[in-house]
Amino acid sequence: MLLYTVKRLIQGIVTVWFIATATFFAMHGVPGDPLMNDKAVKPEIRANLEARYGLDKPIHMQYWIYLKNMASGDFGISFTQQNREVNDIIREHFKVSATLGILAIVFAALGGILWGALTALYRNRAPDIVIMFLVILGISVPGFVFAALGQLSVVEINDWLGFTLFPVAGWGTVQHMIVPSMVLGLGTMAFLTRLMRSSMLEIANSDFIRTARSKGLPVTRILRKHQLRNAILPVITVLGPSIAAITTGGFVVELVFAIPGLGRYFVQAVQQSDYTVIMGTTVFYGAFLVFMVIVVDVIYGFVDPRVRLE
Amino acid sequence: MSPLLQVNDLRVEFDTYGGTVQAVRGVSFSLDKGKTLAIVGESGCGKSVTVQSIMGLIPMPPGRITSGTAMLDGVDVIAEKKIDGKDIRGRLVGMIFQDPMTSLNPTMTIGDQIAETLQVHQGMSHRAAFSRAIELIDMTRIPEAAKRARQYPFEFSGGMLQRSMIAMSLACEPLILVADEPTTALDVTIQAQILDLMGDLQRERGMAIILITHDLGVVARMADEVLVMYAGEVVEKGGVDDVFYRSAHPYTLGLKAAMPSNRDDSVQELTPIDGSPPDLFAPPAGCGYFARCPYAMQACEHNHPESFDLHADHFARCWLHHEDCDVDAADVFRKISESP
Repeated sequence: MLLYTVKRLIQGIVTVWFIATATFFAMHGVPGDPLMNDKAVKPEIRANLEARYGLDKPIHMQYWIYLKNMASGDFGISFTQQNREVNDIIREHFKVSATLGILAIVFAALGGILWGALTALYRNRAPDIVIMFLVILGISVPGFVFAALGQLSVVEINDWLGFTLFPVAGWGTVQHMIVPSMVLGLGTMAFLTRLMRSSMLEIANSDFIRTARSKGLPVTRILRKHQLRNAILPVITVLGPSIAAITTGGFVVELVFAIPGLGRYFVQAVQQSDYTVIMGTTVFYGAFLVFMVIVVDVIYGFVDPRVRLE
Repeated sequence: MSPLLQVNDLRVEFDTYGGTVQAVRGVSFSLDKGKTLAIVGESGCGKSVTVQSIMGLIPMPPGRITSGTAMLDGVDVIAEKKIDGKDIRGRLVGMIFQDPMTSLNPTMTIGDQIAETLQVHQGMSHRAAFSRAIELIDMTRIPEAAKRARQYPFEFSGGMLQRSMIAMSLACEPLILVADEPTTALDVTIQAQILDLMGDLQRERGMAIILITHDLGVVARMADEVLVMYAGEVVEKGGVDDVFYRSAHPYTLGLKAAMPSNRDDSVQELTPIDGSPPDLFAPPAGCGYFARCPYAMQACEHNHPESFDLHADHFARCWLHHEDCDVDAADVFRKISESP
């Protein structure tokens, strides 16, 4: 198990290096550079600035310096925000994005497993039909619509209660986090519900459930020890890619709910060709995703013994 | 002595999109303590449905048991499913299945799966149940039982998985072991080992076995009594020698003719039974075997055959045995049985 984890981590580092390299050359391949935004820069000033940011060096030298700095955990300073280090931006804002994302994924996973198991148990009866209708809604309606609807309902709830239960926007307390993370996790939850439902139904007809019943086990024990654990496997499998979906969805939700997350900086930096911020945030996000996927794989190993020993 | 299990007039139906399938149509049989009853017949004749109905393993819906009783220890287990307030399954009746590869939970150790039965039925602690599970694994002649108990099904071969299934089904020392085609998915040498194991454990423990199979070789080796099923009905029942050597139903003869032989002098090809079983959405009024039977008579088409007792504990559902029948049934069957 330990060996497996280490192996996956090394693979992860290679993946991150690949992301870093691809981002670097993609950014430098795009026409223009961060200094072009400034109007009428004198050639001398421009040369000074280029020297300061290392843009006067040949591209392979720049790549080498960038890799070296990145390996020591230094993403450099921003081109557009005065005297701000990319590390500071990440440090300040990433924890907000990560909290939002992790809450959303937990919400999506728990909700998906719960609703999926429930609909499978009530197959073709009222709870199943109602929930599956909502699931189709959840899958097909885009996140920003839910974000707006979420805010609207929050306003209504607060009005009805006469005090502010959930703030409409902003960040800071637990109440701030609940609605945005639910909105962010909704689509994934709907998707996971469907997956869990079909997986539960498939397992319900499997031979080993029949064996469990022939052993005279109580229904609750069969559900708990035999059905759920096996039905959860496909859900865990797609949890990794789901994290990526939720992270990208996070940019929109952060914007709508005015959450000071990293997503906003990321979008802004792309618009301004802010090399260091783009590369820093991309590589950081990439590394985070890769790490989360590895975590999911390791969890998978705990649930499914067939993966563990390979 | 009253029989251990007495099944009377069992009828099972399934609702499907195409209509209602009458899978089992009035099956009765009894099973004595320590004996082996083999149920034979081709796919879809209702063998598995019969025992699964008794075990309460039929999914309902779409399944429906429309009539019948199965008396075990004075209790109708089809109506009650419990004796003394406890589930009979796993406790009084153990069961093993056709495909051991898929019949065990892939995410649970073999030992835990065996121990589970003991925990549920005998209230044992996990630790005690697990060490008992190791003994049971050892009993089924799997080497290094203690190590094996901690392994998962994917680390076992097919034969070992079937041994584990046997260990699991026998954990609570049941009165009856139901084996639903236990050797069909295994290769021939492993088949022999599994059958030997079942036979030995039966002698040691005096349990009864209901063996479902379509392999007549297995029947000859294991069975005391044989139930031949066709289209959801019992067409012949008797002691193993009666059914094999004094077959009294054309379907039994057909099955025997379709069995491969490895005798040197046998150059004869297999004789398949032509045609296919009747539509169980609308079972025929007469004999189910009418359309395929080489000895069919006019009477067979519309009159459902009665069961004729030939001698003690041997009966067949065939009009050839009727006293008004022109053909001498005994003569027909003797001639066919004797021809190579």
